[in-house]
Amino acid sequence: MHRAAYTDPALFSLEQERIFRRAWLYVGHESEVPQPGDHILTQAGPDEVILARREDGGLSLLHNRCAHRGARVVSEACGHARQLRCPYHAWSYRLDGSLIGVPLADGYSKELPGLACVPRVESYKGFVFACQAASGPSLSDFLGGLRSAFDNLVDRAPAGTLTRFGGSLRLEYRGNWKMFLENAVDLVHPGFVHKSSVDAARAHPEALAGDAVTQQGAQMFLANGMRATQWDEVPLHAFPGGHVYMGGFYKQGMIAPEREDPVFARYRKALVERHGEEKTAAVLSVDRFNNIIWPNVSVNARFGAMRIVRPLAVDHTVVDVVCFKLDGAPPEMHDLTLQFVNLAASPASLVASDDLEIFERCQRGLGEPGNDWIDMGRGALADRRQPDGSIVSRGTSELPIRHQFETWKSWMGL
Amino acid sequence: MSEIEALVLREARLLDEQRYAEWLELFAADAVYWIPTRADQQSPNEALSIIYEPKSLLAVRVERLSRREMHVQTPPSRTVHHVSAIEVDGDAARSALIVAEWRSGEARWFAGRVTHKLRKESAGLRIVLKRVDLIDGEAPHRAIAVPL
Repeated sequence: MHRAAYTDPALFSLEQERIFRRAWLYVGHESEVPQPGDHILTQAGPDEVILARREDGGLSLLHNRCAHRGARVVSEACGHARQLRCPYHAWSYRLDGSLIGVPLADGYSKELPGLACVPRVESYKGFVFACQAASGPSLSDFLGGLRSAFDNLVDRAPAGTLTRFGGSLRLEYRGNWKMFLENAVDLVHPGFVHKSSVDAARAHPEALAGDAVTQQGAQMFLANGMRATQWDEVPLHAFPGGHVYMGGFYKQGMIAPEREDPVFARYRKALVERHGEEKTAAVLSVDRFNNIIWPNVSVNARFGAMRIVRPLAVDHTVVDVVCFKLDGAPPEMHDLTLQFVNLAASPASLVASDDLEIFERCQRGLGEPGNDWIDMGRGALADRRQPDGSIVSRGTSELPIRHQFETWKSWMGL
Repeated sequence: MSEIEALVLREARLLDEQRYAEWLELFAADAVYWIPTRADQQSPNEALSIIYEPKSLLAVRVERLSRREMHVQTPPSRTVHHVSAIEVDGDAARSALIVAEWRSGEARWFAGRVTHKLRKESAGLRIVLKRVDLIDGEAPHRAIAVPL
């Protein structure tokens, strides 16, 4: 790939039009707008939108731009209202975007418009996605082989539903958006990028005997110190549509797939009541780490966490990290979720901070001429196409990066 | 100046002088260092935190700050922790904090209110809790490497 894919503002504008205004994008979770009248501000690609629960129980996604003079209608991150009223000249709208009324209505000669709606909004098991293209594949087809990431997350909830909680952590870096999800499935970088946290954790073996939070943090730091041969045992799976996951992560024993403590035992019992023993074992044995939903989401089902990558400019990106409660699980599980995510994904994380530094170094470097073509061929000879259309490769392969760029080229029409 | 005020100021200076091991020694064995995302957060179980670390994890953080391969501190930051408006109330101190950080050709600032909870131990006065409520804890942040 030419370095321009990361540095050219014209290509970035094209990405916004051809990918972020055409693909299905995650905009929120149904639990954020449970009651009619509930609404939140969110992003559909480059556009600020209002996700609202209507009186009829359905969901609307409205551009946050008054149909009159263009003022932002909603300015708070979340709210509850039967109607939305613009603060400028008091045009008011129903939660489906239609216009209720305007002052001095008798002075107009034509019918007035309502708020612009995003044409397609669909929920997959509570995860709400939007598509600004009026036609094209359904959400279910778009998610394809990675519907399983959401299935597994929901299956882990003893009550069968999830609730978004805990606010969010927000990270920012001066680098291209694509770097984040490429890095999330690059299993060669941890040994180098995260060496300082691996070594620091090794120097404090007592942390592994600490309280549950300390223990889980230390295990996570140490896991990045696996050898290349161990990472190779973590197979990479790439699916049509650009989606990727890494599997077999917890089999390495660095982070245990199931815990042995009273809280987890209570959780497991509740899950068995829902699913029975056999399915419970199957649900808990899914040992993927990052599931990448192209173009901009990473889901970690085991820890109930999700990252949403938001491109701001060709060299400027924000990442939102959010968590989900497994409804019906002991509250202590949710405490551990938050604390794991703090340690793994905060801008001050001993792990994520070095990733952010590397993205900024890549961006600065890629702005320099010379060696214009970026090699992403590592491990290509090990790629194996499967009967279901997916490709599997060994953990140290750059398959995910190649695969994401194949998808990128097709959406970009290049 | 009270002993508590002196400790709050010394804690800030040790960070500016990159004397992280000595900084860690100011914390009690059961201490917590906390930067919540929300100013009204009562517990780490309500919402995500930029940092919520018991001393055992803070020790790993400090250990890492001494490692050459810590990319986000290569080159290291220079900081000024500007502490003001210290109010001592029993065994707690409240203060205002502005941190200026310069690194790799760029400067940036953090601002917030700080709460210290302290305890007299045989070895001297120790921090039991340091909580930093940033004015923009919910906003996106670039990598944070030096404790605030």
